[in-house]
Order: sequence, then C-alpha cells, then structure tokens
Amino acid sequence: MSRFFDLIKPRLWPIVHRRPNTAVRSYVRLAVMTAVAGTLWIGIFLVSLRVLTHFSTIEEIGTLLNYKLLNMLMVTSLALLVFSDILTALSKLYLARDLPLVHALPVPAHRIFLARWMEISFDGSWMVLAFTLPVFLAYGLVFEQGLVFGLVLVAVLVPFALLAATVSSLLVLVVVIIIPANRMKNIFVLLGLLAFVAVYLAIRMARPEQLVDPEVFDSVLTYVASLQTPSSPWLPSTWAYAALQAALAAEPHRGLLDMALLWSGTGMFLFLAVGLADRLYFPGYSRTQAAGRKFRRRPAGTTRRHSRFSGPLRALLDKELKTFWRDQTQWSQIFLIMALVVIYVYNFKVLPLEKSPLPTVYLQNLLAFLNMGLALFVLTAVTARFAFPAVCSEREAFWVIKTAPISIRSFLWIKFGIYFLPLLLLTEGLIVITNIMLNVTPVMMGLSVLTVFAMVPGIVALGIGMGALNPNFRTENPAQAVTGFDGLLFMVLSTAFIGAVLALEAGPVYHYFLSELRGRPLPPQWFLRTWTSGLLAVLLCLAAAVVPMAIGQRRLERRGI
Amino acid sequence: MIELRGIVKIYGSHQALHGLNLSVPSGEIFGFIGPNGAGKTTTIKIIGGIMAPTTGTVAVAGIDMARDPVAAKQRIGFIPDRPYLYEKLTGMEFMQFTADVYGVPAEDFRTRAVSLLKMFALADWGEELIESYSHGMKQRLIMCAALLHDPEVLVVDEPMVGLDPVAIRMVKNLFRDLAAKGVTVFMSTHTLAVAEDICDRIGIIHRGRLIAEGTLDDLRRDIAGGAPDLEAVFINLTQSPADNPGEGAAA
Repeated sequence: MSRFFDLIKPRLWPIVHRRPNTAVRSYVRLAVMTAVAGTLWIGIFLVSLRVLTHFSTIEEIGTLLNYKLLNMLMVTSLALLVFSDILTALSKLYLARDLPLVHALPVPAHRIFLARWMEISFDGSWMVLAFTLPVFLAYGLVFEQGLVFGLVLVAVLVPFALLAATVSSLLVLVVVIIIPANRMKNIFVLLGLLAFVAVYLAIRMARPEQLVDPEVFDSVLTYVASLQTPSSPWLPSTWAYAALQAALAAEPHRGLLDMALLWSGTGMFLFLAVGLADRLYFPGYSRTQAAGRKFRRRPAGTTRRHSRFSGPLRALLDKELKTFWRDQTQWSQIFLIMALVVIYVYNFKVLPLEKSPLPTVYLQNLLAFLNMGLALFVLTAVTARFAFPAVCSEREAFWVIKTAPISIRSFLWIKFGIYFLPLLLLTEGLIVITNIMLNVTPVMMGLSVLTVFAMVPGIVALGIGMGALNPNFRTENPAQAVTGFDGLLFMVLSTAFIGAVLALEAGPVYHYFLSELRGRPLPPQWFLRTWTSGLLAVLLCLAAAVVPMAIGQRRLERRGI
Repeated sequence: MIELRGIVKIYGSHQALHGLNLSVPSGEIFGFIGPNGAGKTTTIKIIGGIMAPTTGTVAVAGIDMARDPVAAKQRIGFIPDRPYLYEKLTGMEFMQFTADVYGVPAEDFRTRAVSLLKMFALADWGEELIESYSHGMKQRLIMCAALLHDPEVLVVDEPMVGLDPVAIRMVKNLFRDLAAKGVTVFMSTHTLAVAEDICDRIGIIHRGRLIAEGTLDDLRRDIAGGAPDLEAVFINLTQSPADNPGEGAAA
C-alpha cells in the first residue's frame, strides 16, 4: 500500500511544499483569477435562483418543471464528466510524460492504474462539480432545504463523479487495446468538437429567442412539463436525480437505494477496472508507444516546394502552416470558428427589424455600429485561441529561434504577419456580409470597413505581444496558454481597446445620423470634434499595434530557455 | 574567435558564473569540462546568444553578441544537449527551415542538405516527420542543420549524448576535419575520453570559475603533478577535501 501512496506523492508534494510567492504579480494574478471565477460562480447562482424561483411560482407545473430541469442538469453533467474523464484518462494513463519512469518502477500495473485513477477522478471532475454547485445551492434555497440536502448532495455528487471517472477509465483501458491512445484522443476530440458544433447550431437554428414571446413560452413550458418519458433506470444520472429529488421533497429516505446504487456501482466498476488493469494496462501503454510511426522511407530531397517568399519569413510561414495542418487538435478548431461565423451571420438574418418602433434606417445603422464591436470581439476570441499562443507554440524548440540569426523583433513581426491577414479577412468578411444584410448606408459601410481595418492590427499585435510576455515553452498544450493570467489580461485590454475606439467614434456618428434623419445640416463644431476623435482613434490603434509588440520583444529577448 | 570577458551570471540569489575569461582561437577544438552544475551549459547558452550574461561581454568572430546578435549568430552553429525540434516537420523541412533562416543560397541547399543527411545516416529518413525520430536521430539532425550554413564557430553541448559508437567516431573525425579547415569548436562534455581524443585545449570549470586551462599535457604536468589521464586531473581539481570532507577524513 505504501508503494501506491508513493505513486501519488509526486502530484501532492509540489502542493504541500509550495513556497509562498510574495511577488506582487502573483497576488494580482490570484486576485484577478479569483474575481473572474467568483463572478462566474455568483452569476450562475443568481441566474439559477432567478429561473428556479420563477418556475416555482407557476401554478400546477412549477415544481415539476424544476425537477425536469434538475434531471436535464444531471444528464448534461454526466455527459460532460464522461467526456472530460475520457480525455483525462487518455492523457494520464497513456500519454503523460512521466509514464516511462513510472512504468520502469517495480510496481504492479493495477497500482499504477489506481494511482492514476485518483488523479483522473479529481482532474476530470472538479470543474464540472465546482460550476454545478451554485445551481444545487439555488435548488436548496428555492425548495427551502438545509443541512440534510447538503449532506445528500455530497453523498450523491462524490460517487456520481467517481463513477463517471471509473467507467471512463475502464472504457479507455479496453478500447486502447484496439485503438492506440494518441489516435483515440484525436478521434475523440474531433467527434466531441463536431458534436458540440452540431448541438450549438441546432440550438441556435431552433430560434430560442422566440421564448421571449409569452404565448410561445407558455406553450413550451406546458409541453416540457407534459413530457412523461422516464429516464433510463441504468443511467447514473437517473440515480443521482432520484436521490436529489427525494431530498428536495424533504423525503431523503426515498433516495437511499439510488445513493447505494451510485456507491456500489463505483465500487463494482473500480473492482473490475483494477482487476483488468494487470492484463490490459501495460499492453495498451506499450502499443501506444509504438503507434503513430508510419515510416515511408522515402529518400530525402524527393519533395519539392515552391514559395513566393524567402528568408526567415518563408521559414516561419512554412513551419507555422505545416505544424498547424498536421496537428489535428489545431485545425479541427476551424470547425468551431466556422460555426461561430454561421451563427453570427444567421443572427443578423433573423433580426426582426420591422417589429421595432424605431425608424428602420436609424436602427439599421445603430446595429451596424454595434456590429463593429461584436465582430471585433469575435476577433478577440479567435486571436486569443490562435495568435496569443503563437510564441508559446514554439515550445522547447524555441532555442532554434534564440540561436538563429534573426532578431526577436523580426520573429514577432513575422508571427504577427502570419496571423494578421487571415484574421483581417475573417473580420472584414463578417462586417461586410452582416452590413449588407442590414442594408446599411454607404457611409456606415465605409466607416465599419475602415474601423475594422485600423483595429485588427492592434488586436492581433496585442495577442502576439502579450503571448510573448510569459510563454510556457514546456506546456503540453500551447492552446491552453490563453487560460492563464496573461490571456485574461489580453481579453480585458482588447475589450477596453475596442470600447475606447468605438466610444471615440460614437459621438460624431450619432450626430451625423441624427442630422441625416432630421434633414438638418451638421453644426460647424461637428467637423472639429470628428477630426479630433478620428485622430485619437488612429493614435490609439497605432499604440495598440506597436506598444504590446515592443514589450513582448523586450521580455522575450531577456528570457533564457 | 571566441572571446569571453568577465562573464558573470546570476540567477536570483545564485551566482552561476564568477567573472569568466576565456579565449578560443580560430581552428581550435576547445573542451569545456566540469562537474554537474558547474556552469558549463550556462556558458554555452551565453556564447550561443540564448542567454544574456548579467555582466561581461561575448565576442564571436570579433562581433559583440550584445551589440549585433544577428551577425554573431550567423557565424555560429549551435548544438544543444537536448534535441527539441519542430516535431511536425520532416527532417528535410527542418533543414529547409534552417537554410531559410541562415540565408543558405537556394541553389546550394539541396546538394548540401542531402549530403549532410547522408553523412549522418539520415538520408532515408529525411521525409519522415521528426516526431517519429529516435533521440539519437534528432541529435544527428540538429548536427546536420548546424553545419548547413558553414559556420565559423561550432558551439556544442554534450555532442555524444544519444549517439551510437559509429556516429561518435564520425562526429570526432568531423570535428577534427572542421578544425583543420579553420572552424572553431567549443564543446562541453562529460565524456573525458572524447575530450582527451580530440580537444586541442581543455578548460575545467568548477562552481562558476575556470580553475584550469591548457593542453592535456599542460594539465597533467602542471596541475596534477604528472597524472596519467584527464580523469585524474579532473578528480584532482574538482574533488578537493572541501568538496568531500568524508573522503578527506578517511584518507
């Protein structure tokens, strides 16, 4: 048993022996991350409380609706847990960097599996549990349940998460014998992504905004409440739901059997998985190491390539494109972007402008102005995903750049150039298509196109420059770089930049359209104000394009490897 | 060809290098040896331009690394101890990447790249993704890339790690040939036999200070009082009673 605990010590020691970091930056980082997570948590809690309270006031079907919602929550949580646990299990059991060392230890495979299962259970579940907790808290308050509900919640959620982790680990253990882990992870990520895109598009195309219409909303609620199809009695989400529902109804004893099913199910599947681990784990791990080596043995120099560019630009451009298209985890996210674009454009297609009491011309141009902010915010999100990790994606091969006869300044600006053009085309495309749909005036179209053209360099430079501040070259997944403090700061600064430029433009644009609408000439001071605002906006765009790159350059130059 | 003047490197509260002074002339193979943590890799990184010294200057081929790093790096071929590469490129694509960055003329590239890959027994693997290479193959590919632009200075950190005996012999011969053509080779190594075999001069670094420097004969004669080999010199210099009080007391 002591060897089993030895296996999880490397995970625990860094936490136990952590030295307090007294740097101001670390406190700021902690404060910002806590504030963001806390705001999200409180937001989920308040929205849940509002919805549940509202439902509970609906006569006859209110409580039923809340129970339906709870059932849906449990099914969704189970799906999320299984998805997250399968990915975590593939990484922890087969792809982690420390596995060669761990498998060389004189420890039976089932103990390694058991130690890893503990990590999978925690890593794969904590986020789902943390962010569903405020919903359960809201349920407790709305149904006026106290300590007993809290205890039932713990007794349900712990085995619920453990069961999902155990079944996922068992599934991975068996499937990896047929499909090597790295290939399975790629397939699974792609399928998950496509499923997400499909659900996302389906929900949007169902036009949920119609629910705002009271008549439609009432009929939907009645329909949902009338759904009597019972959930599958074999699903852990049904057991968890039944136990929680019993506790909410102040009859917790009715849920004892379901809780027992959750705990015994976890025990049974864990027993099975540990029993199979000695037979399946090592063969699967061994197979994974041998997979992915498709040797073609073609002599060097047989492939030719042509390029319009030369020197470091060609080197970095070629490298970046090839690395992107050869890594499925990178290119598959294009599907997400495409779904985002489709939904974005669709939103404008279904806008009920004719129902608005405001004059259509005024509304069209007002929306076109707001559309600039939205499109630039989409750009911020896409930049965060692709351009922000551009420096970090060099990973440990960054020594190649550091020792090469190319300045960090050139390196960063080439990176900027690589991402600038596609991102500019994406944003201009969004703006032009949606403005055509809105049937805006030529002045508004021109202003939108010019504003986007001036701001895209600033946002992309902000992403590249801030991504160069503290890149983690040892990360296994550079795309996760944006989830750190600098990524968050980038999002905040980019949003502030968009807000500032649009605020500068808002006054002159408002007065222009007002005078057009009323058929009055523009006042003389309008021209001065417009020129001043325009000049300030241009200066802001220039600063956004230059300053972050210069700061990123300085930081990267000083940094070793 | 390589000039280090008063190099100091401080990491937080730890001083890794204490005013290192070193000069390696053109066409010399200089072996840089020392115990673990002595400051070898830090020195190599500073010469390669990966890391800036806290104080002091580095000049490569007469070019100050701090003033004109691009020109200085153009003259260096750098081979690190750990072969991290762009895993999603093929060997040949990495060679092309290097050629583009170092400005190797397009008309020379293919001939040179194929010839180097053949020399390092990688010709049949040039079109494979680097992610499928073994550690030794990656190390050999880095050597190919480092030689592609005909560097005047070769900076090598642990050149023999991961190489098989045939490759080790080939690399030793290659370094000798390069030195004969005027290329300066600065290499750190723990393989003392390699240092004995090919180095014209050897520097021993200990706790961030260059404690001995000279030819193998100089070191054996002057430092270790006629010690039979480099291993004896090394142990004599780096294992003082202060380092090993237990051994000292026992003796």
